[in-house]
Order: sequence, then C-alpha cells, then structure tokens
Amino acid sequence: MIEVEDLHKAFKAKTGLVRAVDGVSFVAGDGLVTGLLGPNGAGKTTTLRMLYTLMRPDRGAVRVDGHDAVADAARVRRSLGVLPDARGVYKRLTARENIAYFGRLHGLDAQTIAARTERLVAALGMEDFIDRQAEGFSQGQRTKTAIARALVHDPQNVILDEPTNGLDVMTTRGLREFLLALKAQGRCVILSSHIMQEVALLCDHIVIIAQGKVMAQGSAEQLRLLSGEGNLEDAFVRLIGSEEGLAS
Amino acid sequence: MKALWTVMRKELLDLFRDRRTLMLGLFMGPLLFPLLILGMGSLAESRARTQLESTLELPVVGAEHAPNLVAFLDTLDIRAIEPPADPEAAIRNQAHEVILQIPAEYPSQWRESRPAVVEILYDSSRQDSRIPVARVESALRGYSRQVATLRLLVRGVDPALGEAVVPGRRDLSTPEARRGMVLAFLPYLLILSAFLGGAYLVIDITAGERERQSLEPLLATPSSREAIMSGKIAAACAFGMLSLLLILLSFKLSFQFAGSGPFRGMDVSLAAMAKLLAILAPMVLIGTTLLTLISASVKSVKEAQSYMSVLMLLPIIPTVILLVSPVKNQLWMFAVPFLAQNQAILMVLRAEALAPLEWLVYVGAGFGLGLLLWLIAARLYHREKLAISA
Repeated sequence: MIEVEDLHKAFKAKTGLVRAVDGVSFVAGDGLVTGLLGPNGAGKTTTLRMLYTLMRPDRGAVRVDGHDAVADAARVRRSLGVLPDARGVYKRLTARENIAYFGRLHGLDAQTIAARTERLVAALGMEDFIDRQAEGFSQGQRTKTAIARALVHDPQNVILDEPTNGLDVMTTRGLREFLLALKAQGRCVILSSHIMQEVALLCDHIVIIAQGKVMAQGSAEQLRLLSGEGNLEDAFVRLIGSEEGLAS
Repeated sequence: MKALWTVMRKELLDLFRDRRTLMLGLFMGPLLFPLLILGMGSLAESRARTQLESTLELPVVGAEHAPNLVAFLDTLDIRAIEPPADPEAAIRNQAHEVILQIPAEYPSQWRESRPAVVEILYDSSRQDSRIPVARVESALRGYSRQVATLRLLVRGVDPALGEAVVPGRRDLSTPEARRGMVLAFLPYLLILSAFLGGAYLVIDITAGERERQSLEPLLATPSSREAIMSGKIAAACAFGMLSLLLILLSFKLSFQFAGSGPFRGMDVSLAAMAKLLAILAPMVLIGTTLLTLISASVKSVKEAQSYMSVLMLLPIIPTVILLVSPVKNQLWMFAVPFLAQNQAILMVLRAEALAPLEWLVYVGAGFGLGLLLWLIAARLYHREKLAISA
C-alpha cells in the first residue's frame, strides 16, 4: 500500500520557480490498480519519482507499506518495482542479463533469479527475444524487458510510468492482462497515463492531475457522476478544465 | 560489497561486448607508443650519424684566398663546393645549412702572422645546422691550433705555454641514466595513459548512462549509491590497469627487439615493469575518481569531454617544470601528483632504487588523493539531479 500525503515539489527554471507538483494526495491500496491520469506536463512523472525515492519532496510525505520514503529509502526501494518513463534497458546485455543484473542488485541468488525470470518470461511472452541483446529491440520488447527487470525481486508495490506508451494494440492487451494478474495477486499497482480509455479499462481508482494538483479522484463511475458528464472523456475535460494535452 | 562486484562485472561485460571500442582502447596505445618512441629515437640517431659521418659539402666564398685551409678541410671529409651567388639569402631560404666566407684580406693577414678572420654563416634557429656548424668550427679550430703550434716552434717557444689550463672531462653518468635522458617523455606517455586511458569508459558509465536514462532505474534499486559508484570506478580501474599492462609489455618487447637503438641497456626487466605498474596504479585511481567526479557533476557527455583537453595538459606540467629548472629528488616531490609519478618512473628506468620512505610517501599521497576524490564523487552521486536527465 502506498500513501501519498500533500506532496509538493518545485524546480528552479530560467523563468522562475516551476511548481511541478503542488499538493497531491491519494492512497493506493493493495489488490487495486491506481491510475494517475493527466495531460502531458501535469506532474505525473515527478509525483512518481517522489514515490520511488529518486526525488525528495519539498513538503508532504510518501509512505510505502507504512515506511517513510525519505527516512527509510532503502527499505522502501526493496518493496518497490519501478518502470521509469525512459526504460533504460542496457543495449549490450541480453534481456536475460538485464533482468539478472537487477536481481543481483536486489541481493537475490542465482537460482531465485533464474526461477523468477522463467516465470516473468512466460507471463509477459518474452520467449523469442529473452536471450537476444537489447540493441535493436522494439519498443514493446524494451518495455517488457524493463517490466520484468522491475519485478524480478517480487515487489509488493509496482509503479509504472506510462507503461503502454508506444505499444501496439496486441502488446497493450497482453500488458493489460499482466497488470490485472498483478492486481489479482494482491499487489498495489500504480500507473500513470494520459490515455483515458487505458485508465478506465484498468484502474479501480483514478487520480486526475493537472498543473500539479489533484483535480478529482475516485472510480470511473464516481468521476462521471462528479462531473455530471455522460462519458469519461467529457468528464476528464471538465475536471481538468481544458482540452490541453488530451490524447485518445 | 556484493553490489560493487555486481556493478563491476556488468560494466566490464558491457564494455567487452563493445568489441571495436575495446580493441581501440586496448591496442592503439601499445601499438602506437613504441612506434612513436622508437621511431623518433632511431630517426634522430640516424640523422645525427649521417650528419657526423658523411662528407659535408661546404660552400666556400673566396676559396682561392686560402687553398691550404681548403685542402686541410678536405682531409676531414669537408669538401669545398662552389658558393651560391648570394650566400646570406641561401642561408635564409635554407638552401644551405652552413657557408664559409674567406675575405680577400685573408692572404695578407696570413702572411703577416696576424689573426686571419673567416666567417661561418648559419641560422642558429635551425636544429639541422647544429652538427654541420660544429664540424666546421672544430675543423677550423684544429687548423688554427696546428698552424699556431708550428709558428711558435719556428720562433723557439714551447707551444704548451699557450695553454694555462687544460680541462679534462669524465662522464660519470651510468649507461642506464644516459638512456633515461633520451626518454624524457616516456614518463609523460605512461602517466597520460594511466591518468586518462579509461577516460571515455568512465565518462560513459556515469554521464553516458545518465544521458541514456538508464541511471534512473539503477539508482531506484536498494543498492547504495556508494556501492554502485565504486563498482563503476573499480571496473574502470581494472580496464585502465589492463591497458597499462599491455602498453608496458609492448614497450618491453619493442625495446628488446630494437637492438642497437639508443635505448639499449635500459631497464626493461619484468621486475622493472611490475614496479612501473605499481607506480602507475595510484594514477589510474586518481584519474578514474576525478573523471567520475566530473561526470557526476556535468549535464552531458559532451560537457564532460570538454574537460579532457585541460586534463591532458596536467601530466605535462612537471615535465616542463623539470625541463626549465631541474631539481634534485626530494621527499616532498613524492607527494605531488604527476611530479611524483614522473620522478618515480625515471628512477625505475634509470635502475635506481626507491627508498622505503619514498615508496610510503608516494603510495600514501597517491591513494590519499584518490580517496578524497572518491568521497567528493560519492557526495555528487547523491544529488537528486544525477538520476534524472529528462
């Protein structure tokens, strides 16, 4: 479970202080998929980076399974699986070596790594490229490798930044099923997206973010009721107050 | 500690998969440096030998005024040839290295036993003219002394009266040390290889990885940043030592095969090579940690690389200082980076032994500086900006 409490983060830019995240709070429960939905530049990635301890909030707190992400960063990282925005797969290593590298950094032994890799390969459908060097991988292959790498230590909490970005329909479907399986295993899954259909299909709890603030949150049904609109797209537009950055 | 090994193994595997970079990194130096040193050495030597031993063709202006002198020069393998129309221009436009000018007054001065003036025209800024000018000068001195001795004898004076002090020379340098002098720039090549040999690798695994955005997931693992950074530094140091080993071996082999070159008798035993490797080890650490520090503080690979031109000059500084004002070896020198390596390498090549205290200061100062740079780099690795490049 991940609890986020009134997060703030500002950056210095040439034009002055940019408030990337300006008061974000939500709770992502176990056995649920929580989606951060918002236009480009809304502060989703910055919020997630504070969740996975790479950024320190200016104000507010993140608790992962009850542990503070700033004070107890190493412990929090152990219970997190992270797919960053840029996948960061090593090109000269094979997919298997990429996964094993992170397994070892998480302190796993070779047998555990091998067993977990087999399971993830089967679940994500990576059989035909698992022993190929990542140079020349398609976007989908890279994403799958990065996801397997993020999950090799069997984390309770999974954070995915735009997981379906750049994937074709079939890969997206497969990935969706994989994420639902993670949810069924009782894990806490958080993902960010700017695509409403994606979020509506997957997420039990949707947090709409724009300009660094939470505009509304709840289930898809609740959001429709809240905005008084018939479909989610109209609800989204009404809730963020503009059509900026909207993609379907 | 385990994370350190994991990172080191991964970085080396990653590097060794990149065959072309690896080959260039490992074998360029070992192939080029010996060629450079041996080639330049033998070129200089053969040039000097031809200039010293071959017949020197000397344009003589007014040769008709001094037939005896010209005949004497001929016995020393200096053959007089027809002078160019404008001797001064001929020197200036480098048509001739040296021209002898015998004025018209020469015969009368000669007959009256007054000092007869002859002129040697040359350009002192030309390296090439050094040996021919010295040959002509020494031939003229020899002729002058011979004739002067005869004149004194004719007048019944002992020629030895003309020489109050006779300086004699005894060269006490060891043969190894003389080779060492020829090799003034070998230390620079070795220090530079140690200092920056793995530079592109170091820059790549910190600044490059940041640019490729793979540092973000890596730093989100529970491994400590110190361990990750140390693993990268260890990988770069291992690579640096391997490439140094190859360079030293190639020097050893080429010096041995060079036969009668100017480097014969230099200490290239395996023990000396091992000592050189030990001497260069702190330099490898200093270079790697310094570059890691730089890579962790800059925005891009390009920015990190622009530091390289300055860094390449650092190892030259002691060589230049020693060239301008040579000083005796003192203990404090072994604590100054670059200067210490320079002195220690020269001592090994000259087959002189380093005292235990000198070793102690050397190793202490070298690794001490490496540790300091490591600490600063580790601080920079904790910066929030490091993980995030987008």
